[in-house]
Amino acid sequence: MTEADYYAFFDDYLNDRLDAPVRQNLERRLAADPVLAERLADYQRLTGTLNAYGQRLRVSEKLRAIQAEIDAEQEQVLETGRPEMPVMRISRTEQWLREFWHGHRATMGVAASVAVLAVFATLLGLQWWNAHTQPTTRAVQYLSSKVDKLAKAQQKDRRVMNQVINQIGSTPATPVNPGKFSGTGFALTADGYVVTSYHVIDGADSVIIEGRDKQRLRVEPVFSDAAHDLTIMRVIDRNFRGFGRLPYTVKRRQAELGEKIYTLGYPREDQVYNDGSLSARSGFEGDTGFYQISIPVNPGNSGGPVLDDRGNLIGVISSRQMDVLSTAFATKSSYLARLVDSLSAAPHPHTYNLPKQNQLVGQTRPQQIRKLQDFVFVVKVFDRD
Amino acid sequence: MGKGQPSYTDEELLAGIRHGDDRALAHMYRQYLPTVIHLVTQNSGTEDEAKDIYQEGVMVFYEKVREGTLELSCQIKTYLYAVCRRLWLKRLAEKGRYGGRLDDFEPYLETGAEADLADAEERDRQFALMSEALVRLGEPCRSLLEGFYLLDKSMQQLTAEHGYTNADNAKNQKYKCLVRLKKLFFTQYKEEPLS
Repeated sequence: MTEADYYAFFDDYLNDRLDAPVRQNLERRLAADPVLAERLADYQRLTGTLNAYGQRLRVSEKLRAIQAEIDAEQEQVLETGRPEMPVMRISRTEQWLREFWHGHRATMGVAASVAVLAVFATLLGLQWWNAHTQPTTRAVQYLSSKVDKLAKAQQKDRRVMNQVINQIGSTPATPVNPGKFSGTGFALTADGYVVTSYHVIDGADSVIIEGRDKQRLRVEPVFSDAAHDLTIMRVIDRNFRGFGRLPYTVKRRQAELGEKIYTLGYPREDQVYNDGSLSARSGFEGDTGFYQISIPVNPGNSGGPVLDDRGNLIGVISSRQMDVLSTAFATKSSYLARLVDSLSAAPHPHTYNLPKQNQLVGQTRPQQIRKLQDFVFVVKVFDRD
Repeated sequence: MGKGQPSYTDEELLAGIRHGDDRALAHMYRQYLPTVIHLVTQNSGTEDEAKDIYQEGVMVFYEKVREGTLELSCQIKTYLYAVCRRLWLKRLAEKGRYGGRLDDFEPYLETGAEADLADAEERDRQFALMSEALVRLGEPCRSLLEGFYLLDKSMQQLTAEHGYTNADNAKNQKYKCLVRLKKLFFTQYKEEPLS
């Protein structure tokens, strides 16, 4: 009896197709013979698995059919809900996009939030950075009138300027234009050297100073220091006989913080006095060539002398800060002194006899000013326009 | 669900499915489909993925019912939800997108679904082995056995298809084929480490 015969036998037995005596005989043998019992068990497991596998495939097919039916119904509901209405169809791409959106919306939401945050952080950061680092160069205003025109004049040929000055010098009768720009200047030496701010006369064709007595004197720039905003000029009028003895001296050392200081200048047609204190020993953005002073100054004050209580010249008014109330800057007198020293040392025809004696010490302020006022001038600048 | 379909209780559904009533199966399928679609689509799955998971879950339930080994201690809905939830977690882990958390929409209880799923996995393994054994069996045995067991064809039908003179010949051929299949199947079966 082959194994196949046994399988046929088992099949009949399990499907109850055997006669009673044969079945009882088989059952007795199965009970006695473990090998036969094992063989039956294998047969049962094999056919059981095959049957279950078949059922799995068939039911799986059934479930798919049910699902397909449901899908079809839903589509039908969508399409036939309003037969006269156009059917809304979703293209494959759109369907894919919708599924993608559905599956990844959380991730995309996070990514979008991060992007938005980053953009705003960058914008705010840049704005903050700009606000904090933008140099306020424009916030400093030179105190001569009409500086912009000076800048234009600067481009003109120096040679031409000198020619014009020479012409004016040789023919005093030539009518001169009224001054276009003005600042303040003051006597440096008794024999005709005058100091003003560089930016006052920068690019000028001719310069005239005018004292309290309305006497006009032609001057000529001798030396300029743009970095410290200083210019030394010399009177070139032939009739000039000197200023007389200067009442103040130039302070060579640095002035003390908090010192009472004052200035005389020509912000308008008349001489104007203003006072204040020395606020800082550095100028705009920490420039050590300048003092910060708390004297209210106006355009026209540029080039004016800054004096301390004892009548020492401590600085030359240069500029003011636009956005800070009553903050002005003055070139330190120590730079002026050093400049004069270096010019004197150079092999040069000029000699500078700086005043040696101070006549203002211990005097009241009005007394000081009375002595001082004849040595402070309007500086009028002409160009050819 | 409407549409004039009879509404079943859980007991009626179970009885219907146990006796192979396709209408009961279809009814049950429709009734609990939305819950599982909701679960999957709200947890970074698509509707198609949800349908696949649901069919897998229903199959686990169906086979347990047919075997008569289902011990249902809760509603069918809760059982199906638990099975599908577990299956979806597994799928997410395979996709590498599982964040360790699932948004639940149904009370999740201990339903015995875990153990049933382990059974189902073992069954899946056996079916895979059987499928492979059938392929290695070769023709004509393969068509004969697949026709009889998997496609549910009658012996007469198979006799005609394969050109046997009578049904007994076909039957004898079937038994011979079974013996060969047994060897292939159990060799593989025993080679596989039982985990």
